[in-house]
Amino acid sequence: MFKLNLKIALRNLWKNKTSSFINVIGLAIGLAACLMLLLYVTYEWNFDKQGKESANVFTTMTNIFGDNGKTAVTFEGSTTAFGPAIKQGLPKLKYVARMDYGGKNLIANGQNAFKCKSKFAEPDILKMYDYQFIQGNPNTALNSPNSVIVTESTAKLLFGTTDVLNKIVRFKDQFDLNITGVIKDQPDNSSNKFDYLMPWSLYETVDESAKDLNWSNYSFITLIMLKNGANLDLVNQKIAQIEKKNNTDNQQSQVLFPLAKLHLYGQFDDGKSVGGAIEQIYLFVGLAFGILLIACINFMNMATAKSEKRAKEVGIKKTIGANRSSLIIQFLTESMMLTFIAVVFSIALLELFLPTFNNLLSIKLDISYFNSSSWFGILGIVIVTGLIAGSYPAFYLSSFNPIQTLKRKIKSKGFFSVSLRQVLVVGQFCFAIILIISTLVIYKQIQYIKNRPVGFDVNALVEMPQDGELKTKYDLLRSELLKSGAVTSMFQSSVSLSHHGRNFSGIAWEGMLKATNNQLFNRVITTYDFIKTNGIKLTDGRDFSENFASDTSAVMVSASAVKIFGYKNPVGKTITIFGDKFNIIGVFDDYVWDSPYKSNNPMVVFFDQKQTGNITMRLNESNSLQSNIETISRITKALNPAYPLEINFLNNVYAEKYNAEKTLGILSNLFGGLAIFVSCLGLFGLVTYSAEQRTKEFGVRKVLGASLFNLMQLLSLSFMKMIVVSMIIAIPLSYFLMNKWLIKFEFHTEISWWIMPLAGFGTLMMALITVSFQAYKTAKANPVDALKYE
Amino acid sequence: MIQLTNIEKYYANKGVKNYVLRLVTTTINQGEFVSIMGPSGAGKSTLLNIIGMLEEPTYGIYNFLGEDVTNLNERKRIELYRNHIGFVFQAYHLIDEMTVYENIEAPLLYKKVGSAERASRIADLLDRFNMVAKKDLFPNQLSGGQQQLVGIARALAAQPSIILADEPTGNLQSAQAEEIMSLFKKLNEEEGITIIQVTHSEKNAQYGSRILHIADGLIKEDMAVVA
Repeated sequence: MFKLNLKIALRNLWKNKTSSFINVIGLAIGLAACLMLLLYVTYEWNFDKQGKESANVFTTMTNIFGDNGKTAVTFEGSTTAFGPAIKQGLPKLKYVARMDYGGKNLIANGQNAFKCKSKFAEPDILKMYDYQFIQGNPNTALNSPNSVIVTESTAKLLFGTTDVLNKIVRFKDQFDLNITGVIKDQPDNSSNKFDYLMPWSLYETVDESAKDLNWSNYSFITLIMLKNGANLDLVNQKIAQIEKKNNTDNQQSQVLFPLAKLHLYGQFDDGKSVGGAIEQIYLFVGLAFGILLIACINFMNMATAKSEKRAKEVGIKKTIGANRSSLIIQFLTESMMLTFIAVVFSIALLELFLPTFNNLLSIKLDISYFNSSSWFGILGIVIVTGLIAGSYPAFYLSSFNPIQTLKRKIKSKGFFSVSLRQVLVVGQFCFAIILIISTLVIYKQIQYIKNRPVGFDVNALVEMPQDGELKTKYDLLRSELLKSGAVTSMFQSSVSLSHHGRNFSGIAWEGMLKATNNQLFNRVITTYDFIKTNGIKLTDGRDFSENFASDTSAVMVSASAVKIFGYKNPVGKTITIFGDKFNIIGVFDDYVWDSPYKSNNPMVVFFDQKQTGNITMRLNESNSLQSNIETISRITKALNPAYPLEINFLNNVYAEKYNAEKTLGILSNLFGGLAIFVSCLGLFGLVTYSAEQRTKEFGVRKVLGASLFNLMQLLSLSFMKMIVVSMIIAIPLSYFLMNKWLIKFEFHTEISWWIMPLAGFGTLMMALITVSFQAYKTAKANPVDALKYE
Repeated sequence: MIQLTNIEKYYANKGVKNYVLRLVTTTINQGEFVSIMGPSGAGKSTLLNIIGMLEEPTYGIYNFLGEDVTNLNERKRIELYRNHIGFVFQAYHLIDEMTVYENIEAPLLYKKVGSAERASRIADLLDRFNMVAKKDLFPNQLSGGQQQLVGIARALAAQPSIILADEPTGNLQSAQAEEIMSLFKKLNEEEGITIIQVTHSEKNAQYGSRILHIADGLIKEDMAVVA
């Protein structure tokens, strides 16, 4: 019986090619989209969850207190003294490892030099992460200060082989390190990813601030692994006690937070996690199942539309002895088979389009992120899809009374079936319209942020890290570059223009009313030509200048800082920072750095030649870009041969700031498009069937003198009505949702009125084209053909 | 075999009862070949459907094989379809997606007949109806007469004791119609299968052993056919 059912189902598929195509392709697209999004969700969801005991690993967060006792800022960071202190006082603690934030640093095998992701950490890190050692001993690998663990790909990059144990590499052109371990590459979805790992004991030599045990410099990460079953709240209470004992003057507090949660729940309000990227994950899960549902709806609609024909079959089978359950099984077999065919297609589609998808989002997803349990989940989705898609026809059709079906008394226009089908179509198009409107609003928002003036001309600016010799030979570099004519002006600074510097609050100004200041200020350190090069508008005073020797104790401040100080004539006034007095010599307009979506902290620019790390140059625009870059490369390479060249264009750096919203835009665009496509596919199928059923009616009408247009109208109108209804539902709903989304941004655009009709009429046109195509074909047919039969 | 007592059927429409059948009482015995005749709308098909349990009478009692089947549940009804009743329709009602062979096989599958038994029964039927060469064709590749032969073969496959035929030759040309009617006569006489058919044609009715004339829902005449 089962074999026959299968055979007949296949024949049915083959015979009704249009509907089979719509069903299989629609379902395959729906499933592929669903799988793709789920792959992305799986990737994000498993962030930092690879280790066997990842649930017991915590990172240290620092809360900075603001006004009225609330926590103003929470960030991942901790002090050097924190780790050793709790190691003593916390019985529930299993391992603790201090780390730096990591950075791109030079590592070389002779001439073979690359800038790769480096990380320093205490040896306990090897017990928290299950690194898979290809070579070396995890128990001793980080014991000696001059050791380094490299990943497989780093080893291959430097030596062309993974057989590199005990070979020597040179770090930052200063330290010769012995390779003590080679580990498998870590997956992309881990926060503490590195290309090579060095011991903390070396870091204490590289960065002196790491050696000094203090409670004030929050520039390090402390990872903690607790024993099984430790209660986080109790542990944090204990930590607070330890901290109180050691850090008497505390403006901050440190707490543990599960490392695996940081990626998705990394947004904090008053020290409490209030979500974060998880919201996007929910959105994507919704989107994934929404599209799948649309495809399922197509399936159900096609099946009910065909019900008149299938009803006859049900009637016959019942008179020859079929009972209801055998019919239900038959219909479900059919839908299951169709689903499985669709699954095969969808996995092919997934493999085919994954590279494109990865490119669009600049991620590296791979089907292997699905583990065995996810595959079971997918199997579950497939079975549920088959059941949902097949259930309505199975239970609805099998209930038909044989005599009614054989006498053709069942009209597919029964009240129930049509209204349900209409509801489903309306639902589909609601979803599609909401997605279109969201896409338009997201694009408008991105555009709005992009068009917000950055505050200076980013186009001719390039920057490069001040590595190796560039620090000591900066003056030489500067004079040679200026002489070459490739660069009109340049400056060195502690951070890139686009990036935030160190935050501090220990500042006082003349006439300050509060005892201590809680407002965080951003610190940038530079030397000469800061304003001249970047072109930020100087509203008052002057830039740092070689003519004034006193500039070492001078600062420039941003307009928003002046507002906080309350100075009427700021130039010449002083501010006190950690006990030192500084003269304000210049005031500049606020410009966009860090996040373009919100207003940033006020900024103070200091003068110090020792603390710079980044060079920014304004290119000479009368030369070609290529010749400028070639000249800069040549001169830099000559002065700093150990380091590979790394020139970044500031306009690219700024463009990258829109990535998160761009991802959202791309996804909603892509999946919105798919949703509409699949919905239209379904609509096409429905019209085809409706036209087929009404062939005779159309023949009669034509004989009576109906025009082509009359007939097209007749066929299209009922479908157009459904689209209009979905517009009426979807437009206010999407207005509400997008408004909610927009107000999350400090700087946001308004929803323009024209977006709504644009989305509505766009969908309407799309549906109209779909429907008209079939309507035209039917209406054009010769009435004799239609009437000949029966 | 079949005992109808005061069968009534009406459709209520806005309080008005439209009678299709009124007080129909009759008995049909095993081995009879009954033709139901009458003008259009007289209630012939309704009567046949009630006999076939496809419709339920509004009033009256219906005994089938000595059992009251007036209000039978679906499960028991399907049992009867599987074992005792074969239907033949005017529009053949073959399953378009199935081949000739599969169409004949379908009732046996529902009846859960073993595969060897199935194969031999189908081979036998195909042989009898001269359709061995056509067993892998689909219904739309056959002529109307051939389709109706398949329809009858399908009805016979489950070895029913009674065949209910609603205008079995209504869509056929006279030569084909004669072939079908002779077949019915042969089945009735040689295998003792009870046959009840609805027909318009006096000529077709002559193949049977008894004619029920129906008009306006009443049995006007019940006569035996004299050979």
